[in-house]
Amino acid sequence: MPDKSDAPYGPTDPARPAPPSEPPRKGRIPDGWGSRLGVILAVAGSAVGLGNFLRFPGQAAQNGGGAFLIPYFISLLVLGIPLCWAEWTMGRYGGSRGFNSAPGVFTAVWPHWISKYLAMPALLIPLVIYMYYVVIEAWCLGYAWSYLTGDLMLGSDPEAYSAYFDQFVGARQDGVLLTPGGGSSLVWLVALTFVLNFILIYRGVAKGIESFCKVAIPAMVVCALIVLVRVLTLPPTESGRTVLDGLGFMWNPNFEALSKPGTWLAASGQVFFSLSVGFGVIINYSSYLKRRDDVVLSGLTASSMNEFFEVCLGGLITIPAAFLFLGAAVGDQGTFGLGFNALPNVFAQMPAGRLFGFLWFFMLFLAAITSSLSMLQPVIAFFEEGFGLKRPASASLLGLLSALGSGFVLWFSQGMLALDTFDFWVGTTLIVVLALIQSVLYGWCLGIRRGAEISSEGARFAIPTPVQYLLKYFVPLYLIGLFAISVYKDLGPRLLQIGDNPVVLGSILFISTVAAFLLLLIHVAGRRWSGDGSFDGLEQGESGEGI
Amino acid sequence: MTTGGWIVMTLSIGFVLALVGFCLTLVLKGDPPSRDD
Repeated sequence: MPDKSDAPYGPTDPARPAPPSEPPRKGRIPDGWGSRLGVILAVAGSAVGLGNFLRFPGQAAQNGGGAFLIPYFISLLVLGIPLCWAEWTMGRYGGSRGFNSAPGVFTAVWPHWISKYLAMPALLIPLVIYMYYVVIEAWCLGYAWSYLTGDLMLGSDPEAYSAYFDQFVGARQDGVLLTPGGGSSLVWLVALTFVLNFILIYRGVAKGIESFCKVAIPAMVVCALIVLVRVLTLPPTESGRTVLDGLGFMWNPNFEALSKPGTWLAASGQVFFSLSVGFGVIINYSSYLKRRDDVVLSGLTASSMNEFFEVCLGGLITIPAAFLFLGAAVGDQGTFGLGFNALPNVFAQMPAGRLFGFLWFFMLFLAAITSSLSMLQPVIAFFEEGFGLKRPASASLLGLLSALGSGFVLWFSQGMLALDTFDFWVGTTLIVVLALIQSVLYGWCLGIRRGAEISSEGARFAIPTPVQYLLKYFVPLYLIGLFAISVYKDLGPRLLQIGDNPVVLGSILFISTVAAFLLLLIHVAGRRWSGDGSFDGLEQGESGEGI
Repeated sequence: MTTGGWIVMTLSIGFVLALVGFCLTLVLKGDPPSRDD
């Protein structure tokens, strides 16, 4: 892999890329952010999701409590924020050369014929995650509505909440959600969230995504703060547990956990998944920035806002409240168990729990919708710039594709097997692969010296030099290690599952078909770009093959 | 809640709040994004 980091890069260097102020590429549909704060809120909204409020506290409670925060913050500083900066830098760089879609941006960063194909995961990941995430989004909307109607005030029996959830998401039987009289309103809620997402995405980057995030993020903060005040002022329960006991369950440090490799792996995994790196979203969002917009400060601000939701709100609300009413057993619940079984039970036992339950699930719905919006934009951008489609055509094509996937998830709802398969192969495994590709593109193809120069344009402060070396050497090695461990731990059972269960096999075939379709589209778009001269003026790859 | 718990919680939340405060101050204080290129 060519490393151009040591190459000269003076103003007269013939290798220097064309000035970003050149006119937009032919056929480019102009779009862009309205303000600096707007793009920061949009990226933060993309990152903040259910994982901040449900996954992080569970991981901390299971891995040393407060001690978990030590590997967590180290991972944030040496892995999470550096990867964010790399994505922001490459995205703005590609955008300044007239590309907003990942295949175009990757080719701008490394003008080699294979670059555009390496970007396929940056389209597949947001598209496939959207297919099941919109269903989870509808769960949150449904739960918020059920608090308004009072349907979720089911007393203190945990079984009642588990039964309610299973019936609502169709976990007991395939096809029940799409059968008339199936007893769940989920399919209508999914349709509603689908329409809402597409109305917002249809309005464009500034008028749709940015305008919505400017309202939704402050609304999430207000909702979470109200619930936080309620949780911190709860009286002791009949069992004698207090809020301080709940806080202690979450935050009391068990430093012995730091000697276990699993704690470090869990902490870095949480940071990695929480910041939405390797999703193909940041690279697309930052491509709409102007040349002198500050990517270093914007990236750091968006990451720190995500941490605010995760550590300051998620860390103080979820586990302390659940422990107060349900005891230590809550520490072993997974994300969905904690969010949709344990917490509704907590709200039912809490004074004015109906109001606080509504606020909580409405906030989760807002968090989910700001994330799902970000998953649509990368693919819309590709359809528009790859094929010259107008917004109605690109939104219709994307709507059709994503509706097929969401329909698949809704139909094969038994045990949430299709959702789980999509999540494991794309939402967990493939994002590590994409992050690895992006870190190699930044560290070795663009080169850390050029990366430093490009990122410092318009920046108040530069990315620290040690971070550049981390991006070049440590981050790719770490991601290879993370991928290898994940393969070692999970791949065997998962592969066996494919042979044993037709739904899992069908899910894999579905994902593979979408991936093949995207590769075909990238191939056609690449020929179109080559034909109309879109790649002219890009610096030739060191391999000499050009594009 | 042990003393260690209080210390870790205060440091963690303090670090995040300081980071958010630092970043937002710079963002809100900064020039509006250039619209001329």
